[in-house]
Amino acid sequence: MTLLAELVTDYTLRTVSLGSAALGAVAGMLGAFAVLRRQSLLGDAVSHAALPGIVLAFVVTGAKTPLALVVGAALAGWAAALLVMLVVRTTRIKIDTALGLVLSVFFGLGLLLLSVVQRHAGAAQAGLDSFLFGQAAALVGDDLRTMAVLGAVVVAGLLLLWKEFKLLSFDPGFAGALGLPVRGLDVALTTLLVVAIVIGLQTVGVVLMSAVIVAPAAAARQWTDRLGRLVLLAGAFGAASGLIGALVSSSVERLPTGPTIVLTLTLLTLASLLFAPRRGLLAARVRRLRQRRRVAVDSVLADLYRLASQHDDPTRAPHAPDVLRAMRDGAGTGRGLELLAERGLAAREADGRWSLTPAGVDAGRRLLDGDAEAGA
Amino acid sequence: MRRLGALTLLLLLLGPASGCGGGGGRDDGRLHVVATTGQVGELARLVGGDLVRVTVLMGPGVDPHLYKATFGDVERLRSADLVAVSGLHLEAKMGEVLTRVGEHLPSVAVAEAVPPARLLAPPGSDGAHDPHVWFDVALWSLAGDALRDALIRVDPEHAAAYRANADAARAELAALDVWCRDTLATIPPAQRVLITAHDAFAYLGHAYGLEVRGLQGISTATEAGTGDVQGLAAFIAERRIPAIFVETSVSRRAIDAVRAAVRARGFDVALGGTLFSDALGDPGTPAGTYEGTVRHNVRTIAEALGGKAAP
Amino acid sequence: MNAPADACAVQVTDLTVAYHERPVLWDIDLDVPAGKLMAVLGPNGAGKTTLIKAILGLVPTAAGDVRIHGGAYAENRRLVGYVPQRGSVDWDFPTTVLDVVMMGRYGALGWFRRPGRREREQALAALEKVGMADFRDRQISQLSGGQQQRVFLARALVQDARVYFMDEPFQGVDARTERAIIDLLKELREKGRTVLVVHHDLQTVAEYFDWVLLLNVRRIACGPVETTFTDENLRLAYGGRVEFLQRKAPADPAPDDGRTPGFGFQGRIRP
Repeated sequence: MTLLAELVTDYTLRTVSLGSAALGAVAGMLGAFAVLRRQSLLGDAVSHAALPGIVLAFVVTGAKTPLALVVGAALAGWAAALLVMLVVRTTRIKIDTALGLVLSVFFGLGLLLLSVVQRHAGAAQAGLDSFLFGQAAALVGDDLRTMAVLGAVVVAGLLLLWKEFKLLSFDPGFAGALGLPVRGLDVALTTLLVVAIVIGLQTVGVVLMSAVIVAPAAAARQWTDRLGRLVLLAGAFGAASGLIGALVSSSVERLPTGPTIVLTLTLLTLASLLFAPRRGLLAARVRRLRQRRRVAVDSVLADLYRLASQHDDPTRAPHAPDVLRAMRDGAGTGRGLELLAERGLAAREADGRWSLTPAGVDAGRRLLDGDAEAGA
Repeated sequence: MRRLGALTLLLLLLGPASGCGGGGGRDDGRLHVVATTGQVGELARLVGGDLVRVTVLMGPGVDPHLYKATFGDVERLRSADLVAVSGLHLEAKMGEVLTRVGEHLPSVAVAEAVPPARLLAPPGSDGAHDPHVWFDVALWSLAGDALRDALIRVDPEHAAAYRANADAARAELAALDVWCRDTLATIPPAQRVLITAHDAFAYLGHAYGLEVRGLQGISTATEAGTGDVQGLAAFIAERRIPAIFVETSVSRRAIDAVRAAVRARGFDVALGGTLFSDALGDPGTPAGTYEGTVRHNVRTIAEALGGKAAP
Repeated sequence: MNAPADACAVQVTDLTVAYHERPVLWDIDLDVPAGKLMAVLGPNGAGKTTLIKAILGLVPTAAGDVRIHGGAYAENRRLVGYVPQRGSVDWDFPTTVLDVVMMGRYGALGWFRRPGRREREQALAALEKVGMADFRDRQISQLSGGQQQRVFLARALVQDARVYFMDEPFQGVDARTERAIIDLLKELREKGRTVLVVHHDLQTVAEYFDWVLLLNVRRIACGPVETTFTDENLRLAYGGRVEFLQRKAPADPAPDDGRTPGFGFQGRIRP
């Protein structure tokens, strides 16, 4: 495919794809922990909270140097996260309320500052609002380097403190009893999350960042039950969406990259929710249907067997379907009989009555004996 | 005590933002004209002269496509005798405010006075016109006439003065128009391509014979896609364009990305300079006036593309 | 340090925990000898879980001191094993039974070291003890209540502690699991370990435990079951006319007077 070849040869496509993939991977991995700890909204809060930090960084330094803005974003996001934890710990406010509160206050403050700066700072401030939705297409080599370094730091942090983070997410009470510094680990994990968010702000922007954090983990959860695999898969989903988003937006005119990445993620998550083999909605439906079938079959088989076993030769004891229907209030009898016929356990006679085959007799005996054993 | 401090801080922040424009219309005898962009404000000053007091809502470097009216702006608008906007959806995010204000205050959309035949509509925009009319000095002259007519409607007593001012303004603008044409004519034919951050300069290109391409569409509210950057970079490298330009009211990150992409294709396109696209420069500087901005833009473009400024 | 002759496994002095100025635990004094299987009893809201958490340093205390085998808790942490309430975690967490049990060794592993073969073997041994070895790779969301409780127990066993704190380990488990757990606890006692269990079922106290602590914000009584588990003390702890079930035939349910004991009760407590 020429698009994939272009991925290697074209500077812009390569840079944007790598950047988006890196962002997706790191955000996805940390998002797994945020989702497991029921802190999905924290990613949203920290991203929105970064806005006043960015504007203040501009005000303080008078310029839009990327490093200054990233530091400003990180400090503001971090402050917001710590504030949330403080509020939850010292007041009766629950975490979801605290998150909503901090998110709105910080973001509102950011918009206010932005508006003030736009009125007064003259021509230098143009483009600060591009942080709201990001500008993925404007990624250059330097940005990639920054993202790579920060991303490496985040991944290293995850690896080093893997078991501590796992225990913290599963059972913080037990972790505390073991002597682990629960609060410190909490701050550490949140700090890593803030770094991951800050990496992505220039690419997908403040408003869309929370999707990049939460969606990969939500999708990945549908496919695996092991934490390690979950984190890796979330990272993979994030990276893939970043890559596909970049590729798609490059082949269509005027299609912004950030939103395309998020849309790709959404499709991926929807597909995972529907089609995942064990936890997917479709699989659940199929399971339910199969269960209903089995119950229908078993109940009709049991009834046939009970009737038949009262005769000398159970295989030559045909009964009319109506008899069976009377025993079970009718529901599903016809279907049950058909299914039994399909499996060779019962046969329909010329006069419309049904009897068990030898295999059916065996199955019936096993079914009822098995029930008896379990004390049914 | 702490809460009082926060409240004070908030008021301090809001204070300058709301400005001190509370005074009513004719308390000093002058008409109060509130303009949205700096260019429109300039026109108002030129045509109104000493008879008007002009307040401009959007400062230097502000992007009119994205600007949202503050509470103070609404106050200022309500205290106006005449509201002058650029129009054609340039002030896209102020639409509702301007509509409501326009219901009970005299207002004029100067760009909409240009006859539709002379307006440009970019391909794929479903007939919505390009609002960046002020880049064609001759068209902006027509806008000045519209402003004159609006002033006369509001203040018929001084009709004669407004007409005289408008005539003087028209003459000035006509001279400026000639200068622009002469200057831009010096660019060699192969290099007559103007590439900027967003599609603001279509009228300039149309009026003075330049091919124009922008990275983002006519509104900066749209985000440039990866494909747009690639396409533009390919175009630049292919046609060997000597320079591209950033704009004061738009982030330069995207243009930098285009340059990096062009470099990766083995060509080096220079940064021709910074153009004033949707806003004027800082007041007090040469580019703080409409004429100043136009001269700066045209000179920068001409010199970067291999031409020379007319005397 | 903990001299073997130190007979006091858990020594609590003046422990007070207040939550938004409302006392949850008030002036608790405890001296639990080593090698006892002790039930912590009290009505809802009496502070039983809080007591455990306060001893383990999981909730902030307003006052008080805790010693484990003579040493401060912070120093003798590794002598302590903990089984939290089953409902305190989300069992849909993506991890296996073996994984959870190995978490019990994290404290001993220290920072940056991964659990290895030794930890795995210890975990498997603990799972054997609770009869869950076959479930080692099972997803914890697929376990029944009793199985979950056993996993938590195995995790505590792997800590190889001298004092165990368990929060309602018999809550919502089937009869067989309950039997298995109590056998395990008695085995621990035989080995000289001390076990403190927050318990809710008054019927089984005399059968399972040899020591008992009756709690209702304040300490009501603490001592051997024979002398401390009396009608009078139960009345003081649970309030009102709660009939003591042990004297009656199991078929007679205790009259439920519908009062929530513990609130507004402080005035009548005599320590």
